[in-house]
Amino acid sequence: MIRVDSLARGRDTAFSRLDFRAKLAVFAAVSVAAVAWDDPRLGVLLTLATAAGCLGAGVKPAYLWLVARVMAPFLLLLLLTHGFFNVQPVLRLTGHARVTPLLSIPASWPGVGGLVFSLEGGLYGVNVCAKALTLLLLVPLCVLTTDPNNIVTALVRLRVPYRFAFAFASTLRFFPLLMDEIGLVIDAQRLRGFAVEEMGVLERVRTYAKVAVPVILGAMFRAQQIEVVLQSRGFSGQSGRTYLRDSVLGRAGTAVIVGSAVFATLVVGLRVGAHVGAFTTALLP
Amino acid sequence: MEPPPLVSLEKVSYLYPGSQRPALLNIDLRVRAGEVLGVLGASGSGKTTLCLALNGTVPQLYGGRFFGRCLVAGLDTADHPIHELARHVGIVLQDPGSQLVAVSVESEVAFALENFGVPAAEIRSRVDAALAAVHLEGLASKHPHELSGGQQQRLALAAALALRPSLVVLDEPTAQLDPQAAAEVFALVREINAAHGTTFVIASHASEEIAETVHRAVVLSAGRIAAEGTPEEVFRDAALLERERVRPPGVTAAFERLRQRGVPVGPAPVTLAGGLSALASLGLGQAYRPADPPPLRPGTPALALRQVSHTYPDGTRSLDRVDLEVPAGDYLVVLGQNGSGKSTLLKHLLGLLRPASGRVELNGQPLAGMSVREVARRIGYVGQNPDRQIFNPTVQAEVAFGIGRLGLSAGEQESRIESALASLGLSDRRGAHPLSLSTGDRARVVLAAVLAMEPEVLVLDEPTHGQDEAGARAILEVTADFHRKGRTVIVVTHQLHLMPGFARRAVVLDQGRIVADGRLRDVYHNVVLMRATHLEPPHAVSLARARHPGNTALTPAEFADAWGGPGA
Repeated sequence: MIRVDSLARGRDTAFSRLDFRAKLAVFAAVSVAAVAWDDPRLGVLLTLATAAGCLGAGVKPAYLWLVARVMAPFLLLLLLTHGFFNVQPVLRLTGHARVTPLLSIPASWPGVGGLVFSLEGGLYGVNVCAKALTLLLLVPLCVLTTDPNNIVTALVRLRVPYRFAFAFASTLRFFPLLMDEIGLVIDAQRLRGFAVEEMGVLERVRTYAKVAVPVILGAMFRAQQIEVVLQSRGFSGQSGRTYLRDSVLGRAGTAVIVGSAVFATLVVGLRVGAHVGAFTTALLP
Repeated sequence: MEPPPLVSLEKVSYLYPGSQRPALLNIDLRVRAGEVLGVLGASGSGKTTLCLALNGTVPQLYGGRFFGRCLVAGLDTADHPIHELARHVGIVLQDPGSQLVAVSVESEVAFALENFGVPAAEIRSRVDAALAAVHLEGLASKHPHELSGGQQQRLALAAALALRPSLVVLDEPTAQLDPQAAAEVFALVREINAAHGTTFVIASHASEEIAETVHRAVVLSAGRIAAEGTPEEVFRDAALLERERVRPPGVTAAFERLRQRGVPVGPAPVTLAGGLSALASLGLGQAYRPADPPPLRPGTPALALRQVSHTYPDGTRSLDRVDLEVPAGDYLVVLGQNGSGKSTLLKHLLGLLRPASGRVELNGQPLAGMSVREVARRIGYVGQNPDRQIFNPTVQAEVAFGIGRLGLSAGEQESRIESALASLGLSDRRGAHPLSLSTGDRARVVLAAVLAMEPEVLVLDEPTHGQDEAGARAILEVTADFHRKGRTVIVVTHQLHLMPGFARRAVVLDQGRIVADGRLRDVYHNVVLMRATHLEPPHAVSLARARHPGNTALTPAEFADAWGGPGA
């Protein structure tokens, strides 16, 4: 059986070998840029760069494709919401008197008739979507490329208590197992004739609710079993723990941290001082 | 003066929270240092609870009411925290995958040592030693999920051994393993016990391996110790085993049958080697081949795979140009080691996976063109873990869950529900929550729900997993009833000894290919191929072949029936 975690786990690369603390610095710097930049062109570029970074760092394309498929409905909703309803805020940002209509819904349509999708609102939607995707892609970039042991030791070096660091790393491991469990239960329902794709919304909700019972029970059983295993291996979240492989930053890690700090400083400095990254409706430079 | 026992249970009784029935009752038991103790008993007899009491999990994690005293290495397991007891007691559980907590083989073994603050250099040397002890050298950097089931269980054993505990407890350590992997785990126990004097307590239904491995065995019955003795004393007590629903090793059962026929066989051996040696003194036998089952009527196969291949996204080729026809009315058992492609094959038969190439046919029609509802109506599926297939708050609602979507009248639905509940003996439990039932009853609820849909084909994946002998046979009897109605049954199992008397035909998968396909008798007696694919035929097969190359007995009863007198 193929497992979600084997889909997520990537290959060995220069980035994957970096200490988790260096990756956290990259995470922070790119997050600063994603939040600071409202220019949809820069936002999209940053998203593409982060996606390319994921691929280069060893995250499997299949995993990114999975993220894209899961996120697509939410991103579309964001885009439509801003395109149709974000009027006054974008007018304030652009200083324009009115928005530029791109398409409008015929007045005869019940409920939504007369709504206008604007260029400005749409571009702001693109900016928001880019921010969301960039932040989302940073998680696989930093987490899926790291041995969870290194996550634990790096967090401990950052003075996070061991029991919290371990809980964080364990959650990362537990999530794919939970996804597998859900898949198995949905398969079992399909084999009794329940195909969610053929169902209406209400029936779908009822069916998913029934999935919850075995999934929660399965998750509780696994959680209890893991607790038995952890305690029987001497785990108590105690201090004074040793490590077979300790967290080593190294020159590359230090360089990445310095580079990330410089990048974040430049982004903030240029945004505040020269308005680089401010929202614009200019489609071309 | 005799040294104090390593393990000492004095009048131990235990009730799980909310339960009125003791899971353990007045247990008095001593285990000497260096001893290997087997714990036998039917499902629900208290084997797992006893194992968990030895490392303090019961009662410390589970709560409930605990009476008496359980001492391990002089420490009271109810008073000392589990993580402290871990220095003295290692534990290996049934499910290989879910007890591994780290992301590499070496970090799995190192985890306990790190928790106890062992210096890194010492951890390194102990990790290497533990991996060498379980023969996993060279796999240190692998992810535990990349290992086979048998390797994962050996890794769990290495993780337990790394702290050099005086006691290692194994709770059904081979229940999910193929026969060869199971044999490897028990061989390792014998090796480590002999080399290091480590004490083991092993709870298991695997009678053959227990008989080969332990110095002493106890039989639990409803939480009490019903019997205690050497493997010979316990396994030769046929009345005890029958009463306590414990399966004797195949070789012991075969010699008991001979004795019942008046053959002067002496005390029944409990190991295959002992049986073969005893057989040698009885002289050669004769050829034995009972009549083959009547052929099935020709026609379009109920299910067929045509040149089916499948490769998982991680590149694993799990099926390689598989051709398989299952005629209507066949009873087929699919065999193969862990990872041989059995589950993938089943998923194709059920339409859960689409072949990368080739096609699957149901009654001559491509499965790919059928709706989920259509496939579910015609193929019933019972998986290994009933808890993943139970969605409803009552047994009756569970049985009604699938048939509500078949477009049947209310009267027909009612009639099917009643019939399914009655045939599985669940009529008086209809109002109970399925998850409040025993493991065996939960499996029967799922079977009832599937049978109520009246499928043409019944597909079962390890249906006897977690069941004792009686529970397993009860489930297989239901499949036999279904088969007697002219319908088709396909079973995947590692429990080869259970299938004679049920399956007509066997298919052996190895690395995604079918390497044997024929009558069950012929496949089981193709011993060279069976062993090459990591399968171990039942004892009766080995005994029959030792007696005469043409003796194709499959069960202890057939072996005795085919005797024909000493030296015949």
